[in-house]
Amino acid sequence: MADDKDVLRDVWYGRIPACFTLYPDEVTDREAEPFYLLLPRVSYLMLVTDKVKKHFLKVVKAEDVEEMWFEYEGTPLKWHCPIGVLFDLHASNTALPWSITVHFKHFPDRDLLRCSSSALIEAHFMSTIKEADAFKHKGQVINDMQKKDHKQLWMGLQNDKFDQFWAINRKLMEYPTEDGGFRYIPFRIYQTLSDRPSIQKLFRPVSSEGHALTLGDLLKELVPDVISQDDDPKKYQVVIHGIEPLFETPIQWLSEHLSHPDNFLHICIVPAPSD
Amino acid sequence: MSSGEVSNISSYCLDEKSFHLCCKLFLQHSGVIRDGWSWADVKGSEEGYVKKTAIIPAKLGSLLNHKADDGMNAVTGVDECDDEAVGDYIVQSQVLVHYEYHILYSIGHQVPILYFRASTLDGQPLSLDEVWSNIHPNYRQRLLQGPWDTLTQQEHPFLGQPFFMLHPCHTEEFMKPLLQMADDKKRKINYITTWLSVVGPVVGLDVPLSYHTELPAPD
Repeated sequence: MADDKDVLRDVWYGRIPACFTLYPDEVTDREAEPFYLLLPRVSYLMLVTDKVKKHFLKVVKAEDVEEMWFEYEGTPLKWHCPIGVLFDLHASNTALPWSITVHFKHFPDRDLLRCSSSALIEAHFMSTIKEADAFKHKGQVINDMQKKDHKQLWMGLQNDKFDQFWAINRKLMEYPTEDGGFRYIPFRIYQTLSDRPSIQKLFRPVSSEGHALTLGDLLKELVPDVISQDDDPKKYQVVIHGIEPLFETPIQWLSEHLSHPDNFLHICIVPAPSD
Repeated sequence: MSSGEVSNISSYCLDEKSFHLCCKLFLQHSGVIRDGWSWADVKGSEEGYVKKTAIIPAKLGSLLNHKADDGMNAVTGVDECDDEAVGDYIVQSQVLVHYEYHILYSIGHQVPILYFRASTLDGQPLSLDEVWSNIHPNYRQRLLQGPWDTLTQQEHPFLGQPFFMLHPCHTEEFMKPLLQMADDKKRKINYITTWLSVVGPVVGLDVPLSYHTELPAPD
């Protein structure tokens, strides 16, 4: 088996090729060429699309420019979800590059959070990490850190510096050996066909009898329909970072290795391709 | 907090079951005094939240020296590093604003969280800036010291729509002395009522005194 540390690196450097095109109704002076970009799975759309904005601003009439937002096949893309989660949830099993539509007008206030500055992304990211640590260590690890450590986590993500980020993040992954894992696993389960953005619950990595609980155990408790896959062909795929981990994988291992930088394990449940 | 603390309140958090119990008692009293709170079920689960709507006169202005909402890399040409700045705001108009308040349980932080959104009567949502300008000046200075730690726009965990949220980071911190005091005096208090009387007024929600005097507290 590969060194587990390689997994962290593979997760961090996961990329999705994307093609950005301007929404046809936007008024332009001349035709807008599409813009191609490799998107880091673990980052946020508004953090890595400055170039996209610059590119399209060249052709959009200045007086028509409001806050930029993105859409995929009619669904506004929530910038506060990691990019990889958006892709897995909405565009798994579709052809690459991922085709994203860019808007500068009619911001969908009912669906999307405003994102007027990168300070907001930072605040969102930090508050998610704090919530994750509340699950893992009652928030004690993140609260005991200094401000500069918090800053280093954020700068690591913002500047795509794996080592800078993990130098601090490893502390958030620690737990007493005798416990066998975190207090609770910070996770979110997303389902395409649900109004509810995600579900989360208190879930321990180790059973009361002391054995390690698995991804399958978690799904059985939270989304039993998904796991009862006697149906052949299977109806759903359970996707994390673009792959389908085995249900036998211990949830603690997944939490340590396949969590996003926000320290949550984001699990997407999507319909299986029908072909 | 030492883990060896001897107290019948071992932690100053609120577990989910107690949250539901506190809400139930809170709603019973609300039904008596008819101040408009009700329970909302989340379909397909046992979860839910307490909600209320109100129409409140508000100012639609914006803080002059609140720069965070000014767009990417706001260039205003004004040096804004004075940290005394609390906010002169331009009052543009006085209008009626429709407020919607939700009390949700955060399983991560194990405390209640107040979510709210505000819109004009024709449905135009208020921006974060406009919400700030309607926060009582007594609170504004305190809140602006760490604006993103306190009031942010967040996705409603059940509805998936943007709401404003008073961040729960400090909830345990301010609840602890209150719960300790009640504990010392052998008084039972309802967590929701006590908590809401602290955070509610920040965003225009008053908690009538009768909640504290009439309401039976959970055991």
